[in-house]
Amino acid sequence: MASIWSLQFNSLPFQPLIWGWKHRLSSNGSALLLHHSLSQRPNLILLTTNRKFLLRAINDSVSSHDDQHSQNEPLYAAKPTLALHSKHPLASFRESVTSFPPVVFLMKRCSGNNFAIGLCIALAILVVSMRAYAARKSRQSRPGSVADLVRRGQLRSDRRGISRPLKYDDPFNNPLVKVGKSNSTVEMCGKLYRLAPVTLTEEQQAIHQKRRSRAYQWKRPTVFLKEGDSVPPDVDPDTVRWIPANHPFATTASDIDEDLAQNNVYQKHGVPFRIQAEHEALQKKLEALQSEEKLNNLFIDSRNAKDFQRPFKLNARPDELVEEGPLNNHTVESKPPKPERASNSIESNLSSEETQKP
Amino acid sequence: MLSLQLFSANPNPILLNPSLKPVLNHRFLKPQKPCQKRKPTAISSVLQWNRKPELAGETPRVVVITSGKGGVGKTTTTANVGLSLARLGFSVVAIDADVGLRNLDLLLGLENRVNYTVVEVLNGDCRLDQALVRDKRWSNFELLCISKPRSKLPIGFGGKALEWLVDALKSREEGSPDFIIIDCPAGIDAGFITAITPANEAVLVTTPDITSLRDADRVTGLLECDGIRDIKMIVNRVRTDMIKGEDMMSVLDVQEMLGLSLLGVIPEDSEVIRSTNRGYPLVLNKPPTLAGLAFEQAAWRLVEQDSMKAVVVEEEPKRSVLGGLFSFFGG
Repeated sequence: MASIWSLQFNSLPFQPLIWGWKHRLSSNGSALLLHHSLSQRPNLILLTTNRKFLLRAINDSVSSHDDQHSQNEPLYAAKPTLALHSKHPLASFRESVTSFPPVVFLMKRCSGNNFAIGLCIALAILVVSMRAYAARKSRQSRPGSVADLVRRGQLRSDRRGISRPLKYDDPFNNPLVKVGKSNSTVEMCGKLYRLAPVTLTEEQQAIHQKRRSRAYQWKRPTVFLKEGDSVPPDVDPDTVRWIPANHPFATTASDIDEDLAQNNVYQKHGVPFRIQAEHEALQKKLEALQSEEKLNNLFIDSRNAKDFQRPFKLNARPDELVEEGPLNNHTVESKPPKPERASNSIESNLSSEETQKP
Repeated sequence: MLSLQLFSANPNPILLNPSLKPVLNHRFLKPQKPCQKRKPTAISSVLQWNRKPELAGETPRVVVITSGKGGVGKTTTTANVGLSLARLGFSVVAIDADVGLRNLDLLLGLENRVNYTVVEVLNGDCRLDQALVRDKRWSNFELLCISKPRSKLPIGFGGKALEWLVDALKSREEGSPDFIIIDCPAGIDAGFITAITPANEAVLVTTPDITSLRDADRVTGLLECDGIRDIKMIVNRVRTDMIKGEDMMSVLDVQEMLGLSLLGVIPEDSEVIRSTNRGYPLVLNKPPTLAGLAFEQAAWRLVEQDSMKAVVVEEEPKRSVLGGLFSFFGG
């Protein structure tokens, strides 16, 4: 049985006499059924356009006839209503709208471009699927973070944090809370609640405190030791807290001195301690490098001295030369002011050169 | 169930409205004789909304918010009470002392602004003022996190470090903060000891279930052993419908078991989850939610070192449409 493609086009024409018409287009055993029918709810006061564009694949021609009947049935009921409203100003507008040629005809005219349209649709589907796939892959990379929740739409980024300041105006005037006249009820946010007095007395509180003081004997730990440490002799064993070596966030070992940490907390101005220390160390290193370069230049000028004093460095790389320089090691070990040291070494080198020249 | 600031235990409360005085006696729930001086509008001012609360005690007030059990709402309470205090005009520094699992920055929506913590301050990587994160919504609220999630705190002087912090905050140039609120981690481990070290008073958060109550009692005992005597409790996640069906302990039952004065009663509210996910504390919600109102009243009581004298027990059906209409107009 040849398959029948029926194209149903429901619209609302305002010609009461013409309430259904068909176009039958057949080509190579397939038929295109075009219904231009009317559907209208009988109880509507205002006219509403009910324009449906249904494309259905129907395998049985009998069922298409049944459908056709079912589409046409409400037309009989709608017919007098339309006749009543046909003079409505909206009706003239709709008449002009419906007088345009149906979309099918326009599509039919552009039937040569079907391949291009299909290609566009296929491309669009491909792009959408690729994008969804890429989004899914990127989502799986870092699950659980706040940024990830925002990306997944579970948190709204515009509602996080301080992005939208929302001020609840006056804390001293809240009209949503009112207490009843008898003081036994309170109305909050539109709901009425019954009040009851608190019955706890001072004596009961004292009794509870005594009970707890008997039940819980505790001293706040002041010494924290890790497993394997010995308890210091002058420390009460009750005040020792043992911290396991693999504790997730607490450690007994600290790489910073306690007094230094206290000073760091109390520091109000200036560069923080470690930043300053790192800066100074870097500066020393830089100065050391600079002085080393000067010395190298000096040694290069005196070819004899270079050949004589540093034969082992000829095969080494320049980086290693700098790092292995004797001055650099010296700066790390001791803390004399760098310029003095550099000037001294330069002077000494100069003096050695002077002694060598004659 | 909501906490209410009905009657102040503070001997000299500042009352802008003299009509409040008749309702501040202790016979508030007994039928009172009609007071001639009371105006019809006095009802709206029974709750202490229309004045600034009077700060009691020495500043800075160092308050630790603890519970023992996890998941009862310590961090939520810290965020909401802290921001309520800021809204009431007090300068607040909230310290997230939860070394391993800090969350206060998320609740406040400040997680992207935490660059330095106390560990960096101790190491000398930054100064204390650089580690304080100022909230742009209420500029008198600052957050200080004790450590980054992956770093380890040298616990040997963890408690001392918090005491140094309090001293440093006291002597800073812009003046001492009025409140230093410390969000304590769950449990009674090293983090708990660190958090309670500098505190002068404690707020115990509990829910009306037996597991939470047992832990709360234990923690109260430890706090009292440590010398912190001013302990008040906030009962969180209270459901009036379950209390009515006798499936949940009432607030008065909880109080009878623990023997602590009440700072606030917070109703179960789905807005809590929403505000947590939004990074916007409940007390800033507009319109305010029930839990937000309760947190505000708790903050009010904290300022005045006051405690609740009446609690809401259950919801009452409204009598009539006309009555509701009159109550709407303040009648």
